[in-house]
Amino acid sequence: MTVILWLTIAILSAAILVGLFRVATAPDAASRAVVGDLVFFSAIGIIAVIGLVHESAVSVDATLIASVLGILATVALARILTRGRR
Amino acid sequence: MNSALDIVLAVLVAVLLLGGAFWMLTSALSMFHARDSLSRVNVLSPATGLGLPMIVLGTFLEHTRVDGFDVATLMKTLFTVVALIIVSSIASNVLARAAYLSGAPVDPRTAPQDLARAPGEGDQVPHSEDR
Repeated sequence: MTVILWLTIAILSAAILVGLFRVATAPDAASRAVVGDLVFFSAIGIIAVIGLVHESAVSVDATLIASVLGILATVALARILTRGRR
Repeated sequence: MNSALDIVLAVLVAVLLLGGAFWMLTSALSMFHARDSLSRVNVLSPATGLGLPMIVLGTFLEHTRVDGFDVATLMKTLFTVVALIIVSSIASNVLARAAYLSGAPVDPRTAPQDLARAPGEGDQVPHSEDR
């Protein structure tokens, strides 16, 4: 089971690296915001799986809070994109 | 019986975790194929609507398999999955609207583009293949 957990973490890390590379090569700011969102959600997945590796139930709460409050980062990026216009 | 259930749960956890991670990686790689930022918002949905709920569900099953069933963990997991689906939908909508309003170039075949039209101008015909 440990192998599967670390394999999952490796795939998610690969997703983050690909996402960061895409942020560096993205043509416009909106694409950067979208890919940044994907990096954020991949990090949530890594937190959830790290909780399994260390057999800690705290990561369940961390995942819950991150998924509920993740909209704040996205909405903030959206407001930045439109220069404060709704 | 108990060990059989254990094996079934372990296989299910492995499928959910690896499958969820697969969707996240697929979504990240598809960001290179999408042409404009609106398509990239679309490409994000498999990751947040399917991949991450699968990972969260897999972690719940693994916690259950190792530590035994816990109602609080079940409630937290269900709330996380529901929040992920609802929050990511609303966030994608807000972000797509902002991406369009920020003037990022969109695919010229995108229709309708009601945000670029005056309110009294009437509805726009949706995109069809024969244009």
